[in-house]
Amino acid sequence: MELIENIQKGERAAIAKAITLVESSKDSDQQLSRQLISELIKKPGKSIRIGFSGPPGVGKSTFIESFGSYLVTKNYKLGILAIDPSSQITGGSILGDKTRMVEISKNPNTFIRSTPSRGTLGGISMGTREASIILDAAGYDFIFIETVGVGQSEIVASNLVDIFTLIVGPGSGDELQGIKKGITEYADIFIVNKNDGELKIEASKTAADYKSALSYYKKLDKLEKQVLLVSAIEQTGMKEVIKTINQIVDQNKQKGIFEERRADQLKFWIEEEVKNIIASDITKRLSSKGSISKYSEKVMKNEMSMFEAVETITKDTLK
Amino acid sequence: MTNKSNNGFNSWQKSFEKETKKNFSDAKSETDEGIDIKPVYTKDDLENFSFVENNSLPGQWPYTRGPKASMYTNRPWTIRQYAGFSTAEESNEFYKKNLESGQKGLSVAFDLPTHRGYDSDDDLVMGDVGKAGVAIDTVEDMKILFNNIPLDQMSVSMTMNGAVLPVLASFIVAGEEQGVDRSLLSGTIQNDILKEFMVRNTYIYPPEPSMKIVADIIEFTSKEMPKFNSISISGYHMQEAGADNVLELAYTLADGMEYVRAAMSKGLDVDDFAPRLSFFFAIGTDFFMEIAKLRAARTLWAKIMKDFGAKNERSLILRTHCQTSGVSLTEKDPYNNIIRTSYEALSAILGGTQSLHTNSFDEAIALPTDESARIARNTQLILQNETGVTKTVDPLAGSYFVENLTEELSKKAWDIITEIEELGGMTKAVKAGIPKLKIEESATKKQAKVDSGSRVVVGVNKYKNPKEPSVDVRVIDNNRVRDDQIKKIQAIKKSRDTRAVEKALANLTNAAKDETNLLTPCIEAIKLRATVGEVSKALEQVYGRHFAKSLSVSGVYGKHFEGDKDFMKVEKKVIDFENANGRRPRVLVVKIGQDGHDRGAKIVATSFADMGFDVDMGPLFQSPKDVAKDAIENDVHAIGVSTLAAGHKTLVPELMKALSNIDPKSKIIVFVGGIIPEQDYEFLYKNNVSAIFGPGSNIIECAEKVIDLISDNLSKE
Ligand code: B12
Ligand SMILES: Nc1nc2c(ncn2[C@@H]2O[C@H](COP(=O)(O)OP(=O)(O)O)[C@@H](O)[C@H]2O)c(=O)[nH]1
Ligand SMILES: [Mg+2]
Repeated sequence: MELIENIQKGERAAIAKAITLVESSKDSDQQLSRQLISELIKKPGKSIRIGFSGPPGVGKSTFIESFGSYLVTKNYKLGILAIDPSSQITGGSILGDKTRMVEISKNPNTFIRSTPSRGTLGGISMGTREASIILDAAGYDFIFIETVGVGQSEIVASNLVDIFTLIVGPGSGDELQGIKKGITEYADIFIVNKNDGELKIEASKTAADYKSALSYYKKLDKLEKQVLLVSAIEQTGMKEVIKTINQIVDQNKQKGIFEERRADQLKFWIEEEVKNIIASDITKRLSSKGSISKYSEKVMKNEMSMFEAVETITKDTLK
Repeated sequence: MTNKSNNGFNSWQKSFEKETKKNFSDAKSETDEGIDIKPVYTKDDLENFSFVENNSLPGQWPYTRGPKASMYTNRPWTIRQYAGFSTAEESNEFYKKNLESGQKGLSVAFDLPTHRGYDSDDDLVMGDVGKAGVAIDTVEDMKILFNNIPLDQMSVSMTMNGAVLPVLASFIVAGEEQGVDRSLLSGTIQNDILKEFMVRNTYIYPPEPSMKIVADIIEFTSKEMPKFNSISISGYHMQEAGADNVLELAYTLADGMEYVRAAMSKGLDVDDFAPRLSFFFAIGTDFFMEIAKLRAARTLWAKIMKDFGAKNERSLILRTHCQTSGVSLTEKDPYNNIIRTSYEALSAILGGTQSLHTNSFDEAIALPTDESARIARNTQLILQNETGVTKTVDPLAGSYFVENLTEELSKKAWDIITEIEELGGMTKAVKAGIPKLKIEESATKKQAKVDSGSRVVVGVNKYKNPKEPSVDVRVIDNNRVRDDQIKKIQAIKKSRDTRAVEKALANLTNAAKDETNLLTPCIEAIKLRATVGEVSKALEQVYGRHFAKSLSVSGVYGKHFEGDKDFMKVEKKVIDFENANGRRPRVLVVKIGQDGHDRGAKIVATSFADMGFDVDMGPLFQSPKDVAKDAIENDVHAIGVSTLAAGHKTLVPELMKALSNIDPKSKIIVFVGGIIPEQDYEFLYKNNVSAIFGPGSNIIECAEKVIDLISDNLSKE
């Protein structure tokens, strides 16, 4: 495919159209997309993929603008996938992340793509994973994935990246109780943003809370989790962030964790995909047979118990 | 005994209900402000006031009835028309002509590069020089602007906020070089930065340093320019951006409080500067509401200033300039605008304004021509000379309705002011973006009312003129203006003492690092012929340039159209499109260049999203190259350029070039909305623009056309 060559040459329009393909819900596009990806993975690039997750408004986009500006001055090429949560109400969406990425979006060494989330798992779909494969093939050094971190989606997002970063705001330390173990498994770095002006004291306190909470889990995990203080607006703390990222990458590579993770992630995605296909297949079968309504009627009329109905339907459908 | 319990009222109510076949209690109409207007007001409605005092007099506490005892009976309001375009030479000619024809004060409109602190030779402002105001690069331009206009006699208002330091400095130096001491200069500098962050968008630096600059100007003028208004606290732009009258009133006064605090934090006593604070309001079409607003503004400000500890009576008095509403004026059937403007002007006068600008009927087409400007000016001359409105002070005082409305507005505004104060004041609120969002919400509602036909705009959504008149248009050749300006800049840069200029600029940069008043070192630099751009950059080195983070409203437009046939038709087209193409129609809505009119772009974006489109919203001040990169990376189907400040003939072709530079085979279609004189349609179509949507366009119709165009384009594969 000509498209593949053009992606590998780093042509902006080709990359963009390829991402459209992998995001498309059209069957014919999906087929093309599969061919495309199987070709692209034959010649992988060297990208490091970093996830930035966190609640809406903590400053993820602003942080990416700030951190990204810092990286492009060091001549890194930066691909950014922003999953924009701003849709829900109407079905359509306003993708406004770029109004927070004014400086880096002008830079020729960046590629920024926003995707409307449509409410699914914080927006991460197979499309996002494929999009990062495309950016990798196109020669980007870093791929940033901005996602809204809420519950489940963090697990999915963390399976997309080599380093998973949770961005939090000053004062969020109180929520630590609730987060506990789960989060430490997925996040490598905790960034406390908005360490500026009146928020400084609160930010330091929050960082300290995270540190002490995490020190407890340090013993359980093999790796040390990092807590960093930054201000996206004042562009402070950026050097520390890149230093920490490089450290973790080096360390993980040395210990073989880097590859191990990618392998685990692959398993995760294969399993997800298989489950998806099976699930949609079964949904189709269920609705074509109409067994749910048939048996529920029987249960309603007390002709059989719900348990019996479930068993019968399951057997019948999996036949 | 109250009216309602007496027989007179009861029998009136019966007759009313018989005539209208409605219950009296249901016969209310709600205004945009959420105030219920009753079909009749009585003496009862003058009771239980907390702000308005029933028996007050003009020029006396709480100044509801006017800042002066005699008002227009002694001297009519000042006819002050806002104008400026292309070069200083041409604007100067225009000013002199206007003064000969009965105008009394000057009001300078600068071009957008000047507003944003760029010289005319800067690449970033290619399409904007001299287009929407006059270009001022150095003090030499300022001197030309006031050539043969004696600055010790003429009061001059300058709408300048972002680049307020170099521009005020140039004005002071121009005066001095005319032989007029700064203490004799009279007039006003707008210097109201908070509303720039909210709605006007010609800020340069971030909020904190910008507030410091505001305070510097207040301090300097209070000490050295006793006849000069240090600030014009402006609600005008908020209403034009879509705010209702309560929002306009509340935010303006809350801004005022913030400026008072900023000045006091410099160690000034409130009475040192408060008499030189002035205000600026918009006068829209809601006739009585606008009158009530001016009366309420004076009432509330007196209270606010008393609370600040003002002792001097002049500190308590709100003096204001007003401008009739531009946004109420239409491109369609434009002569209707003369009528609208006349009523708005009358509102301003009955409200007791100190000076007034009346808009020209070609407002929604381009900058006024000599002829349309003459009619606008005459609107005021006729009011002053023929109607008798100057003969009685505050003639509506005691009107049950107007007094009640004044009280209602005061109450509602006061609630908002209190809320903002509790949250820590307007600077904080503005930084969080809340007021801007509220205004955009209000603007979106207004658009929905017009598009759904529940609000009639004559000639636009009803009573259309089948034979639209064609009108003359002022055309500005911005390339010529730019070339002229560049030549002037080059000549000055050759003849000035470069070393001295550099030193003065370095001084200025240093001064910005501490608390020094910045106007003094600015004046030094300007005297040595530093340019407006150089001075702005010297400060930018310390302060940086501000980029606004924009938020968007969602669901406000759509809510008005639940069950609407046309709306649902577009929604269905969007879903069909998604089924056929694997994704929704995706449109990038952009502003290019220095044009900061974002009301239309924001409304269109949120409305399209409500209909199901995926809309990418570009930031302000993008270059054509930035837009092309953004569009291609997101693989949008179409770009919608919203352009109101007349840069389209330069910027749209540049965009087309930029698109094909990145992707020669680009299939992205481009359409244009905003202020496009009909004469330019052909030019744009020749440059491959797919559609043009002018002022007054129904957004649902826009959306349908856009999706059809995108589908057509895709089927051409
Ligand atoms: C409101 C307004 C303002 C507000 C702007 C508030 C804001 N945040 O937007 C304020 C008061 C701040 C303002 C300031 C100025 N203004 Co002004 N302003 C207007 C005014 C009165 C109305 C514009 C408006 O918002 N209309 C309402 C919206 C909803 O309509 P719209 O933008 O036209 O959009 C509709 C259609 O055009 C179309 N559309 C537009 N864009 C798009 C995009 C897409 C994708 C689609 C599908 C459709 C579409 O659909 C919309 C819905 O119907 C116009 C005159 C007029 N009556 O149009 C002057 C006008 C645009 N301003 C003008 C000028 C000169 C200025 C200043 C530069 C003055 C100065 N020298 O200081 C300043 C600077 C502003 C800046 N930073 O750029 C001039 C421009 C002259 C020209 N083009 O030749 C005008 C034409 C007035 C005049 N005749 O002098 N202004
Ligand atoms: N004080 C402060 N505010 C910030 C900082 N970073 C972001 N913000 C503000 O937080 C808000 C949300 O930012 P945004 O980047 O859109 O957050 P996102 O939703 O996580 O992408 C914006 O108003 C930013 O200006 C910071 O470092 N300091
Ligand atoms: Mg974001």
